[in-house]
Amino acid sequence: MPTLAHYLLVSGLLFSLGLAGVLLRRNILIIFMGLELMLNAANLSLVAFSRFNLLPNGLPNYNAQVLVFFIITVAAAEVAVGLAIIVALFRAKQTTHVEDLNTLKF
Amino acid sequence: MSTQTAPWIILFSPLAAAVLIFLIGRFSKTLSAGLAILSAATGCFLSWWLFRQTEVAPQLSLEWLNFGPELTITIGITLDHLSKVMLLVVTTISTLVFIYSTGYMRDEEGYTRFFAGLSLFLFSMLGIVLADNFVMMFIFWELVGVSSYILIGHYYSKDSAADAGKQAFIVNRIGDFGFMLGILLLWSATGTVAFSGLLSAIPGFEGAPVYLTVACVLVFMGTVGKSAQMPLHVWLPNSMEGPTPVSSLLHAATMVAAGVYMLARIFPILEVVPDAREIIAWVGGITCFCAALMATQQNDIKRILAYSTISQLGYMVLGIGVAPTSSEAMFHLFTHACFKCLLFLAAGSVMIAMHHETDMWHMGGLRKKTPVTMICFIAGMLALSGCPFTSGYFSKDLIIEWAVLKIPFLGWLAAAAAGLTAFYIFREFFVVFFGKARSEHAEHAHEQPVSMLVPMLILAVPALFAGLPMIQEHFFTLSHPDAHAVPHLLHPFLYAMFFGGAGLAALLYFKAEKDPVSIPLFANRLYIDDVYFWFVNKIQGGGSIVLSWADRWVVDLVIVQVPSKLTWACGFALRFLQIGSIQAYAFFFGAGVVGLLYIMLSK
Amino acid sequence: MIDPVFLEVSVVVLGIFLLMAEAFGLAKEKSTLAWWAIGGLAAVFIGTFFIGPNSNSFEVSGFYVVDGLSLFFKRFVLISTILVLVMSVDYLPIVQRLVPAERPGAGSGEFFILPVFTCAGLMWMVSATDFIMIFCALELVTISFYIQVAYLRRSMSSLEAGTKYLILGALSTGFLVYGITWFFGATGQTNLVAIREVLPLIPVANHPAILFGLALVLVALGFKIAAVPFQFWVPDVYQGAPTPVTAYLAVASKAAGFLVLIRVLEPFFTVPSFQNKLFLALVLLALLTLVFGNLAAIPQTNFKRLLGYSSIAHAGYLLMGLAAIGDAFAGGAVVFYLSGYLLMTFLAFLILVPVTKASGGDDIAHFNGLARRSPGLALAMLIAAASLAGVPFTVGFFGKFFIFEAAMNQGLYLLVLAGIVTVASGFYYYFKVIRAMYWQPAPEDAGPVAITKTSSVAIFILAMLILILGVYPQLLIGMLP
Repeated sequence: MPTLAHYLLVSGLLFSLGLAGVLLRRNILIIFMGLELMLNAANLSLVAFSRFNLLPNGLPNYNAQVLVFFIITVAAAEVAVGLAIIVALFRAKQTTHVEDLNTLKF
Repeated sequence: MSTQTAPWIILFSPLAAAVLIFLIGRFSKTLSAGLAILSAATGCFLSWWLFRQTEVAPQLSLEWLNFGPELTITIGITLDHLSKVMLLVVTTISTLVFIYSTGYMRDEEGYTRFFAGLSLFLFSMLGIVLADNFVMMFIFWELVGVSSYILIGHYYSKDSAADAGKQAFIVNRIGDFGFMLGILLLWSATGTVAFSGLLSAIPGFEGAPVYLTVACVLVFMGTVGKSAQMPLHVWLPNSMEGPTPVSSLLHAATMVAAGVYMLARIFPILEVVPDAREIIAWVGGITCFCAALMATQQNDIKRILAYSTISQLGYMVLGIGVAPTSSEAMFHLFTHACFKCLLFLAAGSVMIAMHHETDMWHMGGLRKKTPVTMICFIAGMLALSGCPFTSGYFSKDLIIEWAVLKIPFLGWLAAAAAGLTAFYIFREFFVVFFGKARSEHAEHAHEQPVSMLVPMLILAVPALFAGLPMIQEHFFTLSHPDAHAVPHLLHPFLYAMFFGGAGLAALLYFKAEKDPVSIPLFANRLYIDDVYFWFVNKIQGGGSIVLSWADRWVVDLVIVQVPSKLTWACGFALRFLQIGSIQAYAFFFGAGVVGLLYIMLSK
Repeated sequence: MIDPVFLEVSVVVLGIFLLMAEAFGLAKEKSTLAWWAIGGLAAVFIGTFFIGPNSNSFEVSGFYVVDGLSLFFKRFVLISTILVLVMSVDYLPIVQRLVPAERPGAGSGEFFILPVFTCAGLMWMVSATDFIMIFCALELVTISFYIQVAYLRRSMSSLEAGTKYLILGALSTGFLVYGITWFFGATGQTNLVAIREVLPLIPVANHPAILFGLALVLVALGFKIAAVPFQFWVPDVYQGAPTPVTAYLAVASKAAGFLVLIRVLEPFFTVPSFQNKLFLALVLLALLTLVFGNLAAIPQTNFKRLLGYSSIAHAGYLLMGLAAIGDAFAGGAVVFYLSGYLLMTFLAFLILVPVTKASGGDDIAHFNGLARRSPGLALAMLIAAASLAGVPFTVGFFGKFFIFEAAMNQGLYLLVLAGIVTVASGFYYYFKVIRAMYWQPAPEDAGPVAITKTSSVAIFILAMLILILGVYPQLLIGMLP
């Protein structure tokens, strides 16, 4: 029987993987996937907290689960906008690599 | 109209005029002059109306800044007898000078700018008059300085005018620095800057007379600067570079008197610090005598009047120092405002007739060319020199009487200065209006338009008669010294001084072609300006080896260069953190997260 | 009387109406959309003065609060949006040049409509008291900003700025939700009011979890308000984004971020064990932000980028006020500062737009000789720069003065010292603009700078307000919640 700690561990791993992706990968699309992974790590731990920390009446606190749905929706919106920007960038510059985005600096 | 709203209208209508002139004045010269005159006339009318009101409603005050109970600064109005009288003087004379200016400035550049400046000045001056606390007074005090700077520098393309404006500004800063320190001292002792609060805090001061003396003398430094008392008097003669209406209004009738008005405002405090009053009296007495000496050897018609102004302000300051109430000094302020303003306006009229020639030895014989101007000048001259039964006779003699009683030396010095006064003003009169025309311009001089003559004629009336007891008793409650206590010799001496001074001037200058007397000491203003000049140049130059070394290596390098280069270098280096790469930013971001977590989670 | 939620609802409806109007070609000129949006937002602004008692179900369930503070900031946001739209109308030619379109003018309508949705998000954000609501509102704002920053699709710098903002913004969102998660895990609540109630009851063993969550939320909000070291996006994005969007980001987004930060941190300032750590974190953030923002601004040559660094520096002063929040007046000082910051920042950007159009760029050198080309604009810019630097008799002076005063009362002498030193360096870099305008010669062929009527009216009003509040700040203090 997995406990809360197990879920939190997996969630922490997901979050770290996502962050590592953002920090280490060079392709903006992959970086973007890393970011989505970070959001999903939060989703997982939210649901876990909600299921394991029951209210006095024995029901889970549904606030967190509602928040999960909001996060999923927002993530979808973010992806829609984000991909559009990345496509526009690709059209203009024929690249999706972060190293090529360094004209604005200092 | 209530006595609550009228002061606010008086105060803000010149500001409104200044803003309107600034915004729409460029379309029409008449419009801008009209706006300025309208605002001044409104103020004048309301001031007289207010003066006639015996019952005054409690004044409103707006909270301006609230730094908690220890310092709450309001914008509020003081409406007592003192400020009512001062309002009358300021608004009435302003109205007349504004009207005069339409004639004087008719062919000048920057006509609208000039009227905007005058209106701004009037606003600032009224702010000083109506202020109910030191901070508000100080702000308007500075605003007056700024508008004076603007107006002196009106002909800014002329170097001497620009320099004079700067000098006036800088010299005034010295005085204002002391003024500010004095305000801070009073505030830290009483916790209030409101005049009413300060007055009620007086009993608490009895334990600390030295502290209060120092504070009062520092506050008096503001007067020394603004009212051109020695040794900070040098700016006033140079400020004559400004247009004559400015000299007349700011540098004779109103602005320079603000210092005296401020002393009158805090007179109840001064009463409990006799030491401070003694210092004030000495500064006033010495100024009044020395400035009169300097005036005897000047050749510029406006500069003579400028030194005369310094001398007369000295009388007022002396009056604050020796008279039992502030009314005596205010009485002289009142009469002086009338006759000195009149003299300046007459001098301006002469100057216009002479095409801006100011050296009186190039004039002469103007009595036939400009008769009305001469009549006005005579009225002002008689009052200034203390001719019996003119306004100056009453106000000046009263101060001298008190001075003789309190500090005899200063009293007799001031009485002697009265003789000098008669001498220098009659000297100017004879040289300008009598004798032969000494230049081309003087031969073709002609009288000025009505817009200039009417204000002068109006002013001539109070200059001659305002001192008569039946008139002045409406404005002042004067206290005369006991007739037996005053030395019997004093009045004969004063008469002798007047007739002697005038007679000597007539003798020497009635038909003089050039100055028969030459006293370089006086002509060079007791060398005070030169001392300053020498001080600034030579002392600085003498120690220049040390100073320039210090300047170069200590000030410039250590204090200026190193920090500025260092900050620039730091900024330049920090910029490189901003490397432009998203992943570098994400790394820094992550580092920030780790740092923050460390702070939050460490024990 | 209007139900408070109706304000946000009507802004969203306005946005949808404008989208439809644009889609069906109701507006012949694209700028008509902007005028409609301005009219609609002005109507909502008037509506904020007729708020009925708080009776709606959102309020009851603790999602949404209507107090003096949120009402003040709703008006703040509405004014900002209106000014952004005024600026956008001026900016339209540049948008039309840099947006690919099949026929002239196409693709520029949304430039006026997106700010309306952002406005709704910001208005919701300042009322949100539940993490769910804060998250949703924040994301509505952020996502609409992604589009606006990257709006100029033919401009490489706009696209680059958009991508940077997208990646780093999403990163901060990731931290935000993960932080919220841990809040929820430790307290069992998502609601700030409820969290305040249960906070003293939480066992000490759970405190690290709360602090962990708090740190991550602080990171995410630090990103919004441009606190060092989460500020790196600011100069790049400010420089690349369309100027009205930059102004919007600089003012409204930052102000709403500060308000949310105040709301989130408030419960923790009541519990001593949290208070100390939070205090330390805020002081350090403030110090770093002050130093970095002011020093890195010194060598800048691009005006928009300079304003980016200046915006970081201002965040430093605001954080200083936040660190002094224990003082009774600190909250008011922060709000006063933000209001003054709105005036002077919008003034600077409103002047920048016509100058950019007339001289072809937004470097400081493009301001050369502005005093001779357009003395009025130069004077207004002088006022804006003086106020940004904190010269007396401008609103910026009193903003800094009140913050320093609050910090002094709280004994934050080190911060005040840093503040005063950095103010001095601030004088230096704002002076560069003034020097360019008044001492550098204008280019040979340069005439007066053309400017629309509305912009000049807005510039005049803002400049006057800066001066009036600089002389009589009580006017604004009286309005503070």
